Amino acid sequence: MRFRPDAQDIFAGVMFIAFAALMLYLNFESHPIGTARRMGSGYMPMLAFGLLAALGLAILIGGLFTGPEPIGRFAWRDMALILGATTVFGLSVERLGFVVSISLCILIASLAEKTWKPLRVLGLTLFLLALCWAVFIWYLDIRIRLFPWSH
Amino acid sequence: MLENLIYGFGVAATFQNLSACFIGALLGTAIGVLPGIGPLATISLLLPLTFGMPSTTAIIMLAGIYYGAQYGGSTTSILMNLPGEVSSVITTLDGYQMAKNGQAGPALAVAAIGSFIAGCVATLVVAIAGPLLTAVALSFGPADYFSLMLLGLIVASVLSEGNVVKSIAMMIAGVGIGLVGTDVQTGQQRFTFDIPELSDGIGFAPMAMGMFGIAEVIRNLEMPEVREALKTRISRLWLTGEEWRRVAAPIARGTTLGTLVGILPGGGAALSSMGAYTLERRVSRNKHLFGKGAIEGVAAPESANNAAAQTSFIPLLTLGIPANAVMALMIGALIIQGIQPGPRMIEAQPDLFWGLIASMWLGNLMLVVINLPLIGMWVRLLKVPYDLMYPAILVFCAIGVYSLNNNNFDVFVTVVFAFLGYLFSKIGCPPAPMLIGFVLGPMMEEHLRRAMLLSRGDPMVFLERPISATLLVLAVIAVAAMAIPSLRKGKEEALHQA
Repeated sequence: MRFRPDAQDIFAGVMFIAFAALMLYLNFESHPIGTARRMGSGYMPMLAFGLLAALGLAILIGGLFTGPEPIGRFAWRDMALILGATTVFGLSVERLGFVVSISLCILIASLAEKTWKPLRVLGLTLFLLALCWAVFIWYLDIRIRLFPWSH
Repeated sequence: MLENLIYGFGVAATFQNLSACFIGALLGTAIGVLPGIGPLATISLLLPLTFGMPSTTAIIMLAGIYYGAQYGGSTTSILMNLPGEVSSVITTLDGYQMAKNGQAGPALAVAAIGSFIAGCVATLVVAIAGPLLTAVALSFGPADYFSLMLLGLIVASVLSEGNVVKSIAMMIAGVGIGLVGTDVQTGQQRFTFDIPELSDGIGFAPMAMGMFGIAEVIRNLEMPEVREALKTRISRLWLTGEEWRRVAAPIARGTTLGTLVGILPGGGAALSSMGAYTLERRVSRNKHLFGKGAIEGVAAPESANNAAAQTSFIPLLTLGIPANAVMALMIGALIIQGIQPGPRMIEAQPDLFWGLIASMWLGNLMLVVINLPLIGMWVRLLKVPYDLMYPAILVFCAIGVYSLNNNNFDVFVTVVFAFLGYLFSKIGCPPAPMLIGFVLGPMMEEHLRRAMLLSRGDPMVFLERPISATLLVLAVIAVAAMAIPSLRKGKEEALHQA
């Protein structure tokens, strides 16, 4: 077999091994394994993450020969905006309330579009506010603050 | 059984359940029609709507959303050549060609009619097979259960797209993530890092919505928007006598195949439509027309995927085991409703079981009624540009997740899974097996523990009990089969026919 690294598989293998190793370490630190007959809380994690580590190793080794399969480019900007918009919603929803946090979320997310059109975004925001209000507050009746000054 | 079915119709025909079924089918179609959103994303997105409902109503609505989304997906495939997910890839092959030849009407009609017929048959099969399988399942011991779940997980991973080892690893990682939280047996906190929110485990909805809702948005944003919406007008939304004759046998074959494939673990819509198309291309008298707009090439896979969508509820309702990721979502929803899926469900929740079956049939009827006359509305929905769509998906996921517990911690968990979902797509790791593993993990641990306690710690119990041993042998065969190059190639070809 010729050495032909496959970036996707190598990355995936390393990821699985690292995750499994971390969890196994935490598991041995704090959970009793018990015996096969009376399993402690650490028994199943030991099995699952042990198996995961083995599979990760298999993927990693296999990945050295099955390439090349490059990892596609990450859309860093889009990703940051989308994840950022969701995070900002999570951070602001309790303090600033429904209206502000949703508007912020849409505003940040809309920046991922190549041509940013203010009126279009405004219209969309108003529409989604109305829709979300109808679904979540009027219909599902969730307890959520509407504006920063309401309670 | 007739008695039970009548009882089921009584449950399904209450105003609340009937409207849940209708709204589910309608919303499912509306969102499923939107390009780039398949059934998994649709169900995850609409999951929060059902949390406040009684359990039967909620599951009826989710089922409606599921087959609605599938119907919607076929409309998109036929009119835009843009499959929302794997199961509708097949429909684009001949469906889009028919539309290009000016036969969009018959293509849409046969998809709807085929699905309806398949749905009727599959509903009956569920009603008959459900109680039978339950009787078998009740004789299962913990060891048999554990092996059954293992088989289900392995077959589901083997049949999913791409590298089998990666799929299995994703599934095991899902099992591992499912272990976070309080250990039911010992009461001990596992991997919770003293975060109080984690003591109930990682939320199922944040995981699903992050991986299938938000990650999908990022993926769609980076792809250039290709939309060749059809310009032709859609006329004659029905079949001619000649067309009826041509599609009768394909619908029958598709229905049979789909019904059978749907029951298999790991089966489901995608596999069945590929199988039906491949079969039809072999046996059809109009072989030469396939790929150029053969109506048989739409009828068979569309019937098959609807039949399979229906019968894949069988393992869920009788064994409590999800055949695929959509069913894993259903189990998650049931568990959130406080229902433990398993063989006792038919007895303990007859409303749910028989009501759901009756509502499947009603829902299929509604879909024909919703889809054909309203096709103009769906076509207009197809034209919604993505820059108006993705903020809506995002906001819906965010508030939906928040509304579960009124806790913003869930929103942050969603962000983490959205990132992971995007990362996984870059390194060729399918997210669906992870969700299935996550749902099955806690149940597997429980059965493993019980089996080992009963056997006094002897692992041979899994090989000594005949049911368990058979299931394990099947699991080994499933993995071994994929090591055979020609079979693996066959799977790849089937999955990448387009």
